Amino acid sequence: MLMISPRMASGMQEKQYTPSLLSFFIYNPKFGPREGEEEKKILFYHPIEIEKNEKIRNVGLCEAIVQFTRTFSPTNPAKSLHTQKNRQFFHEAEENYWMVMVVRNPMVEKPNKDGKPPTVEYQEEEIIDSVYGSVLQQCYCMYKLFNGTFSRAFEAGGVELLTQKLEKFFYRYLQTLHLQSCDLLDVFGGISFFPLDKMTYLKIQSFVNRVEESLSLVKYTAFLYNDQLIWSGLEQDDMRILYKYLTTSLFPRHSEPELAGRDSPLRPEVAGNLLHYGRFLTGPANLKDPDAKFRFPRIFVNTEDSYEELHLIVYKVRERVNVMDLNREFCEQLDSLVGPQLTLLASDICEQFNINRRISGPEKEPQFKFIYFNHMNLAEKSTIHMRKTASVSLTSVHPDLMKILGDINCDFARVNEDEEIIVKAMTDYWVVGKKSDQRELYVILNQKNANLIEVNEEVKRLCATQFNNIFFLD
Amino acid sequence: MESHRDPLCDINRTSRRLVIFHLLWPRRTSVDALGLAYMNEEIMSESWRQHRKHVFVLSEAGKPIYSRYGNEEALSSTMGVMMALVSFVQAGGNMIQSIFSDEHTVVFLQKGPLVFVSVSATRQSEQQLRRELLHVYHQIVSMLTQASINRIFERRKNFDLRRLLFGSEKVLDGLLDVMDSDPSFMLSAVQCLPLPSSSRDALSHILQKAITPDLVFSFLIANNRLVSVVQEKTVLEDARLKPSDLHLLFNLIRASAFQAGEIWMPICLPLFNHDCYFYAYVAYLDPPECTVCLVLLSTDKEAFYAVAECKRKIEEAFASQNALQWVANTQLYYVDDISVANLRHFLYKPSKVLDHHRHPEMEVGYRSQEERIRLLDPYRNMHNRIHSTSRPLKLIYHSAGKETLLAWVTSKFEMFACFTPLVTKKSAISELTKLLRWIKKEEDRLFICHLPKYSTAPQPGRSSTDRGSSARPNTSDTGLLSLL
Repeated sequence: MLMISPRMASGMQEKQYTPSLLSFFIYNPKFGPREGEEEKKILFYHPIEIEKNEKIRNVGLCEAIVQFTRTFSPTNPAKSLHTQKNRQFFHEAEENYWMVMVVRNPMVEKPNKDGKPPTVEYQEEEIIDSVYGSVLQQCYCMYKLFNGTFSRAFEAGGVELLTQKLEKFFYRYLQTLHLQSCDLLDVFGGISFFPLDKMTYLKIQSFVNRVEESLSLVKYTAFLYNDQLIWSGLEQDDMRILYKYLTTSLFPRHSEPELAGRDSPLRPEVAGNLLHYGRFLTGPANLKDPDAKFRFPRIFVNTEDSYEELHLIVYKVRERVNVMDLNREFCEQLDSLVGPQLTLLASDICEQFNINRRISGPEKEPQFKFIYFNHMNLAEKSTIHMRKTASVSLTSVHPDLMKILGDINCDFARVNEDEEIIVKAMTDYWVVGKKSDQRELYVILNQKNANLIEVNEEVKRLCATQFNNIFFLD
Repeated sequence: MESHRDPLCDINRTSRRLVIFHLLWPRRTSVDALGLAYMNEEIMSESWRQHRKHVFVLSEAGKPIYSRYGNEEALSSTMGVMMALVSFVQAGGNMIQSIFSDEHTVVFLQKGPLVFVSVSATRQSEQQLRRELLHVYHQIVSMLTQASINRIFERRKNFDLRRLLFGSEKVLDGLLDVMDSDPSFMLSAVQCLPLPSSSRDALSHILQKAITPDLVFSFLIANNRLVSVVQEKTVLEDARLKPSDLHLLFNLIRASAFQAGEIWMPICLPLFNHDCYFYAYVAYLDPPECTVCLVLLSTDKEAFYAVAECKRKIEEAFASQNALQWVANTQLYYVDDISVANLRHFLYKPSKVLDHHRHPEMEVGYRSQEERIRLLDPYRNMHNRIHSTSRPLKLIYHSAGKETLLAWVTSKFEMFACFTPLVTKKSAISELTKLLRWIKKEEDRLFICHLPKYSTAPQPGRSSTDRGSSARPNTSDTGLLSLL
């Protein structure tokens, strides 16, 4: 992606290039150990147009680097390679299966006078390893959610099946990667929870229990409101990646009709059932049409010892979404049972939502700019990100400040102790990072003339109002 | 190299080889571009792997030159791999810079025909590790000059530089050891001996008087701290003496490990002029303690006797004024003296013009070498963050389990401080303010504020460079000029 920043003084334009994906490949050295067989190692390679020998060389370089670092630490091989022009990230997703992502470094192209070619300045410091490393890991988790593990595919159908699956999945998925807007939240991969009062929460719980009891095919249920999670019966890691899929891919695709008002002509025809507002997001769009074919996407959920393949049913009532997994179709039953009850619940939750809104104040300018993440339950909250969809992550602060947050997060990750880091940036913004017992809190303060003590007081106030039951270092 | 090199060096070198290891290489029928990379069966000993920081030096042809740990000859295959990685990336029009893993950072640097690789578990930043490699390069240049290195490799790409560096491994070993324990490198500064300015002026005066043609610099060093520097007047117009060059000089002297007597050795100061030699006369003024060292730099190879005569004059003057006592009596300040209860340690460097720093002796808690090295790690991390090229900071305050650390950069100074872990922000700030006030008050004593100059005896028309017409040492343009 290209952004132009005009330079006033010279009148010439400096072009700023953001980081972008150069290549992405997956290989397994065991598949082609002998000379002349190198091509067999490569299971997936993007872009596909690259000449075969170059692919082999690039894969060979990665292998060499991993082997070289094993010289010094056999169990902790390379995670990233920095070169002047790009950065490569390595992830051994499963034993001997390596995924490599190559990102072009952001750069600035400064035009030269006299028709000379423009000078290019690479900005290596702009890319934080932990952020893109997490993005790469998420690529694997997302693949695994919809396809199961690599080894499973290999066992089922050999290299052919595996390469087919990889091709099919990554070809589409890579197009959804927007590397220029990755930041600290990608490191966390957290879930935004919706705070509810006890009564409503219990109502939801009992509703979910009733559904699971009466429809025995339902294995797990997750309940969301407006992109925020209320309840989930899935394992944390599975929920985490499913949540990402739902909020960045599925919901945005289906959100437009909902946003169009009740009387708008854009609203699709929801034939028949006037008893409730429920409809399927995955599966049948129109229940009444007997000929309509539909399919539920299959997802793979790993528990400690078992390994389940389930169908994903996403059922939505206005803004409430019920996600259920089961292994056969039975939609009408579901529809008639869930629909009406969900609709009733809906209004309860909606009320709660409005109450919450009143408490936290108008969303336009949050009082404190902060990001909070809890490693234990993956709860995340950010008042800095205004809208995070698959394609854009608008933050209300300068990207350099977000990178400073990334730096502090890296510093926190070095030791396993409670810590606090306060920095004052060159622009006189103050950034405070607190880590306490698996929780991390980052606050950005725009108080140019404040000193350390005042900043400390401000942050204490924030903690008192929003996090009063959590102890942070003073 | 001069024959004054330590005759014991050979024995030292072999006795260092305590690590025993062996390498196995797979049989290969043909070699592809990265054939050396497929070394799955290689085995290195655990203890070799555990070292905190490995440094390797090799030539562009892949020939080993130096390895901090282990025999570089036996590591030739590993070095071959490193060179292969460098060339492979270069072939793609790119430049390899570093590799990161959970435990290690591998940093590459190429300077002319030499390649430097650092494999470090210290968690320093890439920039810091690269700067250390640059110091290693400069140390090699200080022994050979850049021009000769380039010339040699131009003629013979396969040249084995070890032939010229024979016996100098401990110079590089010493440099690497001191870089890991001395914050001067991080701050790019030189530590000064605290001395009342009247004493320092008197010492400088003695140095200024004992001069000879072609004498360019005179240094007085005590316990690895700079006491006084004087330089020839016209030198300033040509180039500057940087702290980094001084570190290299001090390291060379340390590594030569001589006690009584004197040394006359060629030395190149790479940042000053990387293609030619100075000739350094080095002698201790107080045998057998050997804490006060005199270094005289001349551009004339044959000037040994003239320079030795300068030393004799200085010795006489010192004896008559009992000057050595001033140096011996100087108090190294302890943090206690400043009555800041929570402050355990600090580093302070006045910025830009004055390129010196001082730090007081550390408190009891940090007397051991391990503790000092440990403290250097967080300091270096903060230094890296605060001086980041893309997102620099003004202040960092870090409360952690073992201590509370502070880093602060202003236009006037740069400082790093360490407090007890439970200090409150209020106390930390107030103690810091007290400390800064104290430093301001003691500034004259703590830092070398100006660089006295002299001119060598004038012979009008004798040399093309005008050495100045006045016989008086010129101290009028003191200003705040320093070693930068």
